Amino acid sequence: MANNRRHFVIASVLIVIFTVLVYWLLDGVLLKPEAAVVQAAPIDNLFDQHIWLIAFLFALVVVFMCYALIVFRARGDEGDGEHMHGNTTLEIAWTVIPCVFVIYFAVISTTMLFDITRPHPDEYVVNAEGRQWSWLFTYPESGAITQELVLPVDTPIRIDLTSDDVLHNFWVPEFRVKQDSVPGKTTYVRFTPNKVGEYVLRCAELCGLNHSGMLAAVRVVSRDEFDLWNSEQIAQIQE
Amino acid sequence: MSLFSLGIARGLVGQTLGMLVGMLLTVVTRVLLGWEAWAAEPAWTVGAVCSIIGFLLGVGALDDWLQWTKGIDTPLHHGPPADKPAWTRYFSVDYNHKVIGVQYTVWGILLLMVGGTVAMIFRTELAQAGLQFLGLGLYNSFIGMHGMIMIFAILLGVGGMANYLVPLLIGAEDMAFPRLNALGFWFNVPGSLLLLLSLFIGGWDAGWTAYPPLSARGPIGYQLFFLGVFAIGLSSIVGSLNLLVTLLCMRPQGMSLFRMPIFCWAVFATSLIQLTATQLIGVSFLMVSVQRAIGMGFFDPRGILGEISPLVGGGDPVLFQHLFWFYSHPAVYIFVLPGLGIISELLPVFSRKPLFGYKWIALSSMAIAIVGFLVWGHHMFVSGYNDILRVPFMYSTLLVAIPTGVKFFSWLGTMWGGKIHFDTPMLFVLGAISVFLIGGLSGPILATVPTDFPLHDSYFVVGHFHATMFGGFVFPFFAALYFWFPKVTGRMYNETLGKIHFFIMTPAFWVQTLGQMGVGVMGMRRRIADYDPSLGNYQIESWHLAVTIAGFAIAFGVLLMLWNFFQNAEVGVAAGDNPWRSRSPEWQIPSPVPEHSFAAPLRVVGEPYDYGLADSGYVSTATPGDD
Repeated sequence: MANNRRHFVIASVLIVIFTVLVYWLLDGVLLKPEAAVVQAAPIDNLFDQHIWLIAFLFALVVVFMCYALIVFRARGDEGDGEHMHGNTTLEIAWTVIPCVFVIYFAVISTTMLFDITRPHPDEYVVNAEGRQWSWLFTYPESGAITQELVLPVDTPIRIDLTSDDVLHNFWVPEFRVKQDSVPGKTTYVRFTPNKVGEYVLRCAELCGLNHSGMLAAVRVVSRDEFDLWNSEQIAQIQE
Repeated sequence: MSLFSLGIARGLVGQTLGMLVGMLLTVVTRVLLGWEAWAAEPAWTVGAVCSIIGFLLGVGALDDWLQWTKGIDTPLHHGPPADKPAWTRYFSVDYNHKVIGVQYTVWGILLLMVGGTVAMIFRTELAQAGLQFLGLGLYNSFIGMHGMIMIFAILLGVGGMANYLVPLLIGAEDMAFPRLNALGFWFNVPGSLLLLLSLFIGGWDAGWTAYPPLSARGPIGYQLFFLGVFAIGLSSIVGSLNLLVTLLCMRPQGMSLFRMPIFCWAVFATSLIQLTATQLIGVSFLMVSVQRAIGMGFFDPRGILGEISPLVGGGDPVLFQHLFWFYSHPAVYIFVLPGLGIISELLPVFSRKPLFGYKWIALSSMAIAIVGFLVWGHHMFVSGYNDILRVPFMYSTLLVAIPTGVKFFSWLGTMWGGKIHFDTPMLFVLGAISVFLIGGLSGPILATVPTDFPLHDSYFVVGHFHATMFGGFVFPFFAALYFWFPKVTGRMYNETLGKIHFFIMTPAFWVQTLGQMGVGVMGMRRRIADYDPSLGNYQIESWHLAVTIAGFAIAFGVLLMLWNFFQNAEVGVAAGDNPWRSRSPEWQIPSPVPEHSFAAPLRVVGEPYDYGLADSGYVSTATPGDD
């Protein structure tokens, strides 16, 4: 057992080092798109917590495994290992401790989910209809119909999604959130853009031949610019 | 000896005739009803149904039962056919579980190669942004084809391991229902042929999940795809029933459930899922098939079918997803539980140490199987179902982590303090643990809804489930192939080639899965023929190139393994009865295993994994009088 204690100390040090290494690797590979909505901050934070947990658990298993493989390798002898059937205390420990992690993630995810999907009293509504293979946006306020989604910055937005043919999915990677549009019903997705810029809406539900090309331009503009654009649209309709 | 003495040749003729008869039946019916004689979709659909029956009649899988209906007794034939070369039994209906196990495995490997080839084709296309040589339609057909062929291949691989091993591991002479066992295998042949044929009559472009309304509108290929899946599903159901009965009723005296080799527990859990969930994918596809064929709009909200459907509206596309995932999520556990069982089975042999926490591992398989039934809704977080449903499905999904964790930690406990040997099967077990770990750890981030929003239907998911499939099935399956190859053939494979295979495939897979997850986080969607090269600050293209190269490396490794087996199956070095010094029953009898496996009934005299306990055994094959 004293020997085991020495092994555990060495392994623990290695786990700490390896956790940091794995996190660094994942952080370098899993490159998130720029964040352009208010909801992205909590989502990215939760994402980051997950990556730390992944790095730690990966390090935990891999370090113990590789350590065992080196220390307990058969050195040319044909003998057997220690005759030991298990350890109930350990089994209970590694059943119960993960439960703590599960509960932690369940609780913070639920709170966050309700937080980022909560309706806002003065949300600005745009209808988006997915069709094979393009998007059509209708602004109920002005009656404008466009192929480009123009949104005012710092305003809570609700997109009402419909489809008249097959399933589509509203996804702007910079906005993080995602929602299917389903024929026969209206679905909703909510977000608050907080960065002026040009983005691309990408259909994320396989919808037939040109699914990969089902894109639409998204422009988040300042409040003034949006009002200008809006009045132009109204003027066009009245012509 | 003529070609038609091979059952499979007669089966293929039967399948062709069945197809023609079905089409003729449709034409005659339509003429009698005064309709236009030829309509492609009903003709192919009825043809496909009849072709499955035609194959089974042709191959002879129904012969004995048909004889019984006439009151003629048909004793179970043992051994190779009397008037033909022995190898022909592998191409015909044979009732020996060892033959059926090999049939399953070989057919599974063939499909694995077809599915892999398809993947290599579209992976090459993805190596660069822009469309190079695949059209959009073919690309969409290929991704679905790759998915479904691989699922068939995995089910066949699972069937191969279970059918070959379970009776040997519990010391039974054969499976409980040998005829049903053969029928279970032969369903797979016409089923997979229909699936392949579908590509030539228009294909199907909605991916393996075939969500309506898209799948209700596409080419006729869908009908063959649905019926192919239906046939494979029937195979799963009769096969799992057989395994459950075998495990419950045919164990020898003294082998209590907790004294079975651990792989049997994995098969038991898998079979429970297969027996009870497979119906749901059958039903969901059948409903789409019927919606297409006669316009019953189960998933059709407002008469999208238009002129085709007289019964418009009232359906719901989301309903399909519930039915579909009620099978297709537990299906993931059907695929991985046997693989995890292989890991638990082989670790003690190569660590020379008892399996750590046998009961915990056994019960964790059952726990995964049961929880697996309650998590299907996590595939539907953004499907448009009631928002509140996200919460319970998030919780149940996170729960899967707990029994899975128990397995990992118990495996570490098994290795700790052992005397570990690094033969090829053990290397693949270790590879499986590392890869399944990646697959498992990338799960919770998809289970918590806020982080699922950006990742859902992105390439991250592709990375996640390829890691679970490779870690939970492909690596353990290869470990099992290397491990039991000497038992099946009596010959040893080439160890150096085996190790080369491992050291090519494992790092290649790590690169592949990391790359897939990476491009997903960068913003690449699943199932797109072309991607935006500007994603991830223009890093996405180099990652795709890396994934493609890794994919080819994996394919090369697999070919190396098959060549290794092919070379050594007949002329390799004699392996001896028990090259791994295993305690398991099948290694206590000669290699290759004799026709009736055990010369005398097995007696259980100890624990299965008592490595390190001097003078102990697990089973005795000697009759009591001999002691």
